[in-house]
Amino acid sequence: MATAVAPPPTTDPPRQSEDDRVRAARRKERIQVVVWRLAGYAFFLGLWEFASGRLMSERLLPGPSDVFATFGELWASGKVPGAFADTLTRIGIGFAIAFVVGTAIGILMQNRWLNGFFRDAVTVGVTTPGLIWALITAIIFGNRPWGPLIAIVLTTFALISVNVAEGIKALPKDLIDMAKSFGVGVVRRNREIVIPHLAPYIFTGVRFGFSIAWKVTVLTEVFSSSSGIGFEMRTASQLFRLPEFLTWILAFYVFALFLEKVVLEVIERRFFAWRGTINS
Amino acid sequence: MSDTDTLTRRRPPANPVERFAKSPLAGRIAFPLVCLLVWLVALEVVQSIWPFAVDVLPKPTQVLSFMWGEIKGETLAPYNMYETFGISLKRLGIGMAIAMVIGTVIGLGMGLSKSVNAFFNDWVVAILAMPNLAWALFCSLAFGFGDIGPIVTVVLTGVPFVIINVREGVRNAPLDLYDMGRAFGVSRGHIIRHVLIPSLMPFMFAAGRYAFALGWKGLVVAEVFGGEDGAGWTIKFWYDAHRAHGVIGYAMFFVIFALLFEKFMFDRLSRYFFRWRPEVNAADVVEERFDAPPPAVVTAGAVSHANTAAMESLNQVTAGPKSEREHGDDPRRHHDG
Repeated sequence: MATAVAPPPTTDPPRQSEDDRVRAARRKERIQVVVWRLAGYAFFLGLWEFASGRLMSERLLPGPSDVFATFGELWASGKVPGAFADTLTRIGIGFAIAFVVGTAIGILMQNRWLNGFFRDAVTVGVTTPGLIWALITAIIFGNRPWGPLIAIVLTTFALISVNVAEGIKALPKDLIDMAKSFGVGVVRRNREIVIPHLAPYIFTGVRFGFSIAWKVTVLTEVFSSSSGIGFEMRTASQLFRLPEFLTWILAFYVFALFLEKVVLEVIERRFFAWRGTINS
Repeated sequence: MSDTDTLTRRRPPANPVERFAKSPLAGRIAFPLVCLLVWLVALEVVQSIWPFAVDVLPKPTQVLSFMWGEIKGETLAPYNMYETFGISLKRLGIGMAIAMVIGTVIGLGMGLSKSVNAFFNDWVVAILAMPNLAWALFCSLAFGFGDIGPIVTVVLTGVPFVIINVREGVRNAPLDLYDMGRAFGVSRGHIIRHVLIPSLMPFMFAAGRYAFALGWKGLVVAEVFGGEDGAGWTIKFWYDAHRAHGVIGYAMFFVIFALLFEKFMFDRLSRYFFRWRPEVNAADVVEERFDAPPPAVVTAGAVSHANTAAMESLNQVTAGPKSEREHGDDPRRHHDG
């Protein structure tokens, strides 16, 4: 090959070409994946748009374009930020309480007796559908503000307890023993060993807990509140306004996913920035 | 805490009564008693503050007599407990069967081909993360009252779990066993029967378990909004009648029902299906007893996105290397691997 002879080779030419080939193959594969992914979006959105008005009446299944248009209308009416704020406040308060309670129970469960004591509580907390708590709190508390909060706490605390208990069980005993024998104080020991070790478990609990908490919050709002996303959804469904109903739930769904997948993850990544390079 | 732990183990109290009082079993027994006590105290306190609250706070005896009546089959609701749970189970069964079939087909495709995986992946995750309330309300509006709405809800809540589990199963298929089978000239039917099905089995089982647990939760919500009968409808019936003891009694039935199914049906089935295995390798499969403390709920980096909602179910998803691989495209995970 003329080209291989003519210029003074900077590096090993055949090896580079092999690298190139691998890179090209990889690029091709990546493009293929992206194309298929886009095809998936096109297919499902197209199916939805097509089904509305053809397979099912437009009143029963509004298409994606309808939903977007309705969102514009709702946004213009100014109801959206208020409803979001109400629901988010509820999630924030309820989840904070659940976090504290769940962590406390997770720590207490290290004791054998208390483990037996709380075990069934955690099992019931994880198995019972949120709807049950929503209905019970709704019938007992009516639309007082703490009904939904209690429902959120009861559905989410168990997940956090389970994770915290797991984390404590996996504490690096030898490190703690070493720190003890080298005379490291309690505060420093907790700060440098226990908390960094527990943090991932707690984050896992928070992430899972949050993904449940927002769903339960909306559910309780459907039954027992006069503001928030759930309330708007109930109103819309009682008035048989499907576009509005779908818009409310989809808007909040997107927002919650954003919080769950982007915000929490960014926080987590920042939190664990210190160990990013250790294993790589 | 661990200090007290080792202490008690090393030096058990001689007195059997004392030993029992310190055992976890005593704690377990104490829990319902404490709950009952809290309930009674709350009743007293609330009644002394707001005398009119008697209506909404049922006494434990009321709830128990309601439950006893239901167990005997006497009820004021249109159907007794056995009929309502039967109706709901029938819907759940139909929905799960459909979800298993659709999910297995799509899951197999996604496990075998990267393109198919890319095609469906985001939508599976999206459906997985959708609250069942949305499906339930939507189906009740779109399909009206009756069987279709609840069944569609069960399918939609269950299908993503089946898909994800089957995909994991295909990806974890023992390739070396296939190669060996081929090298030794084993027939295709034999390979399917003795290699493919046993290797997919734990994943299918986990899928069924998830689909059951989440489908059940979805079904209840769907019946509340769009049912004419069934368990969810009946609890709503008591709610609408403003009978708090009915609601709480029925809630207890729900808890008992879920526990019975998990404990007896799935544990038995799992023991039966996997009796050929020397021991269940809990780290491999997304199935376990939720009662026992679950094995390592993963360090934060290893948690997979798709499994996030799986936590909703009773089981903790054990994220092993497979979930890391599943999300190999996520740059954040590389450093934890």
